[in-house]
Amino acid sequence: MKFKLLIVLLLTIISFSNAQSKQELEAKDFFWGANDAYKNANEIPDKWKGESAVIIYKNINYDYHKFAKKVKYKSSIRKRILLLDKNAVKEFSEFSFTKRFRSTRGKFSWRTRGKVFFAIKIIKPDGTEIEVNVDKEAVKSKSDYKVAISNLEVGDIIDYYYYLYEPFTSKYEYTFAAVEQTLSEEYPIMDFKLYLESENDFFINFKSLNGAPELKEIPTDKRNFRKYELNVSDIEKKDFPMWFYPLLETPSVKFQVYFARSGKFEDRTVAFLSKQEKDIKTSVSKEEVLELYKKRFRTYGNVGDIKSFLKGKTFSSNEAKVKTAYYYMRHYYLTRFMEAFYVDDANILAFPFTVYGYPVFIRNQKQFIKHFTEFLKRNKIPYEIVVGTYRYNGTIQDLLIENNVEVLVKVKTKNPLYAQFFSPHTNINQFASLLHGTDVYLLSSDNRGNITGINNGTLPNSDYKKNVSLKQVDLDISEDFTTFTVISNNKIKGYNKISEQYDRLLFTDYVYEDYAKYQTKSFTESIRKKKVRLKTTKELNALISKLKKDQIKEFETDVANEFDVSDIENYEYKLVATGRYGLDTNLEYNESFTFKNQFIKKAGPNYIIEIGKFIGGQIEMVDEQRERNVNIYMRYPRTFNYEINLKIPNGYKVAGLDKLNKNVTNTTGAFISTAKVENGFLKIQTSKQYKHNYEPKENWNLILAFLDEANQFKNEKILLKKI
Amino acid sequence: MKTNKLLIFSIFCLVFFLHSVAQKRIEPSIEDIEQATNLKEKFDKDDAIAITRSNEFVTFNFNKKSNKVTVNHNVTEDLINLDDRADIQKYYFYDGESRITDFDIFYKNKKKAYFLVIDEAYTNQGLFHNDSRVKYINIDFPLKGYKYTSVFKEEIDDIKYFTKIYFQDEYPIAYKKIEIEIPNWLEIELKEINFDGYDIKKEVVVNKKSDSKTHIFTVTNISAKYNETSTPGPTYIYPHILILSKSFTKNGQKTLLFNETKDLYNWYKSLTNQLKNDNELIKDKVTELTKDVQNDDEKVKNIYYWVQDNIRYIAFEDGIAGFKPDEATNVFTKKYGDCKGMANLTKQMLLEAGFDARLVWIGTKRIAYDYSTPSLSVDNHMICALVKDGKTTFLDATEKFNPFGEYAHRIQGKQALIENGDDFILKTVPNKNVSFNNEIINYNFTLENEDLVGNSRKEYHGERRTDFLYNISNTKNDKKEESLKKYLNHDNINLKVSNIDTSDLDNRDASLKISYDLTIKNAVSSFDNEIYVNLDFDKELASYNFKERKLDFVFSSKKMLESTTNLTIPNNYKISKLPEDILITSKNYDLSVRFSQQANIISYKKEFSIKNAVIETSDFEEWNDFNTKLNKIYNEQIILIKQ
Repeated sequence: MKFKLLIVLLLTIISFSNAQSKQELEAKDFFWGANDAYKNANEIPDKWKGESAVIIYKNINYDYHKFAKKVKYKSSIRKRILLLDKNAVKEFSEFSFTKRFRSTRGKFSWRTRGKVFFAIKIIKPDGTEIEVNVDKEAVKSKSDYKVAISNLEVGDIIDYYYYLYEPFTSKYEYTFAAVEQTLSEEYPIMDFKLYLESENDFFINFKSLNGAPELKEIPTDKRNFRKYELNVSDIEKKDFPMWFYPLLETPSVKFQVYFARSGKFEDRTVAFLSKQEKDIKTSVSKEEVLELYKKRFRTYGNVGDIKSFLKGKTFSSNEAKVKTAYYYMRHYYLTRFMEAFYVDDANILAFPFTVYGYPVFIRNQKQFIKHFTEFLKRNKIPYEIVVGTYRYNGTIQDLLIENNVEVLVKVKTKNPLYAQFFSPHTNINQFASLLHGTDVYLLSSDNRGNITGINNGTLPNSDYKKNVSLKQVDLDISEDFTTFTVISNNKIKGYNKISEQYDRLLFTDYVYEDYAKYQTKSFTESIRKKKVRLKTTKELNALISKLKKDQIKEFETDVANEFDVSDIENYEYKLVATGRYGLDTNLEYNESFTFKNQFIKKAGPNYIIEIGKFIGGQIEMVDEQRERNVNIYMRYPRTFNYEINLKIPNGYKVAGLDKLNKNVTNTTGAFISTAKVENGFLKIQTSKQYKHNYEPKENWNLILAFLDEANQFKNEKILLKKI
Repeated sequence: MKTNKLLIFSIFCLVFFLHSVAQKRIEPSIEDIEQATNLKEKFDKDDAIAITRSNEFVTFNFNKKSNKVTVNHNVTEDLINLDDRADIQKYYFYDGESRITDFDIFYKNKKKAYFLVIDEAYTNQGLFHNDSRVKYINIDFPLKGYKYTSVFKEEIDDIKYFTKIYFQDEYPIAYKKIEIEIPNWLEIELKEINFDGYDIKKEVVVNKKSDSKTHIFTVTNISAKYNETSTPGPTYIYPHILILSKSFTKNGQKTLLFNETKDLYNWYKSLTNQLKNDNELIKDKVTELTKDVQNDDEKVKNIYYWVQDNIRYIAFEDGIAGFKPDEATNVFTKKYGDCKGMANLTKQMLLEAGFDARLVWIGTKRIAYDYSTPSLSVDNHMICALVKDGKTTFLDATEKFNPFGEYAHRIQGKQALIENGDDFILKTVPNKNVSFNNEIINYNFTLENEDLVGNSRKEYHGERRTDFLYNISNTKNDKKEESLKKYLNHDNINLKVSNIDTSDLDNRDASLKISYDLTIKNAVSSFDNEIYVNLDFDKELASYNFKERKLDFVFSSKKMLESTTNLTIPNNYKISKLPEDILITSKNYDLSVRFSQQANIISYKKEFSIKNAVIETSDFEEWNDFNTKLNKIYNEQIILIKQ
């Protein structure tokens, strides 16, 4: 009996391993079989002989097949690369890969597992092919396998593929991750081919951008089976400069595939689907946007808490009412939970959110829109829902992938207000800078909260005069001319302050501000059991104390980096204002510190002061960056102002003021500086302005002009001359 | 039914009561907080936690099956938080020769704290694959004075892999006890290393019952290991007990372990004797590399450089592979290997070419011991030796671009265990004088408006040259020119480099020469009738200040710099005053900065020589004084006054 069982078991194992190798052989045949047109492709054009490596052939394949609920998803990539230097040999000398994995797609299953077939061969300059025995040579690492490639030398071609086979079951609709990529990569590519295979129930959105060739359908024998290809040759390596959005100008492709078994699931898919699977969707019309969102953005939510808060309050306008409600929601739905987040993260108390009972917690952009518009509807305040996309994706007319949609609310008050899903410091009228000045769709509603229409619109752009950082720096030099004492006051407003708020504010800085403003119970006050409350309070206070100490250490390092000085001493920091109630309000803080033997150079009886260094680091454009043939994309227009007041040591006078007076102003921006001596102080004012968030490449020299001037100012010195 | 409800309620109340009591018992008491405050004052301000008591207990057993002496290593540590809050990771490593049998954390009240123990493969950037694993626990200390006890138990299958015990830890220790119970059938020497300066108390207790002796070492208030870079290896600086397992006697039969160097050699040799050394596959390559070469040195060079250039360093440390070299033909075929594989391939290729080549075991400079200590912790590297005409030349193919006959600093002066049949030879790798690594820099400038305009010539010797050649050879073809420019202008846009000319960047035997033209903006400031010139854009050693440092500073190699900058004074200008010279000479360094004027040329000369690649703590006062003066010079301007 036992013997029989063993035989059965052995047979099972043998048939299983045979099945495995069959799939593996299929993968091999697919890439390296008799039909491999690139088997003998070993030559590269002369123009690329000075490169590190050249990709002779790159092939990417996505296959989507199904049987009822069972999806068979395969994706694979092959690259055949000529290695031209040691750097490339090192780059391709080690690979890591997963052999088997549990798919995270669709319904979870213990039984179904994905597989990866990975194979490599080396083609020597004399044409000899050596296939690496991956199974034998791979070693198990943390969670994957690693293989060191044998016998790899400069001049070799490495030809490898990853073939991922991922079956899964999806009872409902399923959306595959979007692919948005430029055709170019680190090394130049001679030939690139992309293939897509799909059956009915798979919907494909695909778009070629910026001169990338179109996807072509390859005829097949079967009615419900489709195959597409994209062929490109001669792709230079990518070389993206700063301030550039590659998907807007570099040949690229975007696509996404959706699985929807029936009309019901097609309706449920949050995506812009084509009418029929056989049609590749290449664009999304305004009407389709309306169609998709009219049900999904119907007002919804329990706004009773806001109603209670507003009860009894009077407002001069709807504008004032909306602002008040927005900030209250930011607190009531978010910042009042912040302490619990920290308590949870630090393991101070198990299940801390139970303290709040069953609160409303807004988790995403769409939920926010529904909730906020519910409030507007109930208060009879007209609004529109803004549907836009970030600038780096292209315009709203180029929309293809639903995930690229950003939504916010435009409140149609006298001066329109914009409201986006809040994070702890988001102000009313603040929305992602990547949407500034973009064309959008505006979804209008009837007074019951149903979306009824769609119009074109444009979001306002931001102004460099409103996004301002001002640093006032008082400088004092010690009597022995070794030490600078620096006292600075920093005021930051508009979009300049957004990232700074996250750096500068500890949760205690704004949570307690909100508690006081709204008379809310703190997290610890909300804990019913006294003992638990006391313990939690004690441990939370200890955490806060530690975070504050860590924060000061970070600020000290930041300020040293900002001025590029080492050994900061006597560092002190004080937060003056959080700037959380209005985009135009300042985040304000003071810092003071000293540092020694930097920016002062002895020159006989005199001293040279590197005064320009006090405007902090400036962008230095090296030769390679000065030539530019692509347009310039920045986040938002902005201004950086400095006011430097240097106390002139007794017995000295200042020479070299002329070099501190600069003015390069043009349509793209400016660097302006003025300097004067007044009441024993050298007073310098500088202003660096980036006027727009976009400039055509023709204006690059204008940008360089003010950047260079600012950089030159950083290099300027004054002489403290002994009288 | 009622009874049930009552029972459930009672259990609930009891659990809640016990929980409250337990909670109270684990919270820090006033005494705990006071203890934390005192320890914080005693130790470094950056220490987050301290170990109030650490007991390390080592015992030995005999495994009849494997005929090996096994080790049980237990560590119990009481931890206390010194800050408001601390989040730490407690971790222990193990490998194919050891097992962690117990790793738990307990609260102050002795109840187990059920922290998750994570067990994963240990990855190290330098090692492609190794059999080391790590078990770790993330522990949070929510309050100052909060205490835990960590219990760790490990079993090691073979005593030869258990080589030392350190007294110090990542955290400071108020009281440490190490007990090593040695059965009388086992002969072990406990060698005390770096005990000087530490009040380590010792006693030996005879255990009649278990026929053993327990060696007890105790120390109080010992600081944490220093968190500094560029330090000597830990075996130089931290007190530890080196465990030299000599022999064991069982059933009247004495088995030698590592009683003397010969035993260590024998074990190493037993591993290399397992190699097949079938060199069939490498013969053609050896012929190709040597066939048209008459000179023996050139033949050796051709082989040595071929291995350097064509075998990538990839290390597998899995079990015995950590000690046994790979077959030469495997390394040759795979084109990769670790130091042992490369040494063996070099040896076999040289043998094929008719030379006498040997394997060499060696400890790099990170290791304090020499072969008078027979232990696996003596060495960490393998190279090859060519024995020719009574002369031994060492070949280390892991040192890319290392010329034949030159030795990397990391092995200079180190004792080498050279194979010699059944016997071995001990030789020391020659030390090279600092001038071997000389770096010569010449700048010649004139003033043009407010720019310094001129040219530069650089000459690199020894390891300075080797490092440069290696780095440039690993740079992408299309980025080489850009990288070279960035290297020469220190990535400073005020320095414009042009017309770069270099000697052959593939030639590792000659010194490296680079010349180029240079224009420096913003180096000159004119105020009224005076011109202020900043002459130094290299500012070597400027940041080497050891004010806060606790340990010797170790350079990667000996450094020697001769830098001369000549500035032609413009017509109608005279020099106001030159900065003061510096001249310092000591055991470890010679440092000088000199200014002079001849006719209308100012000459600014720096000569820095770090003779032993180290600045010792005893040098720090003098060194820091030099550094202050040097920075003062770097900060000073040459003043030219209009006549």
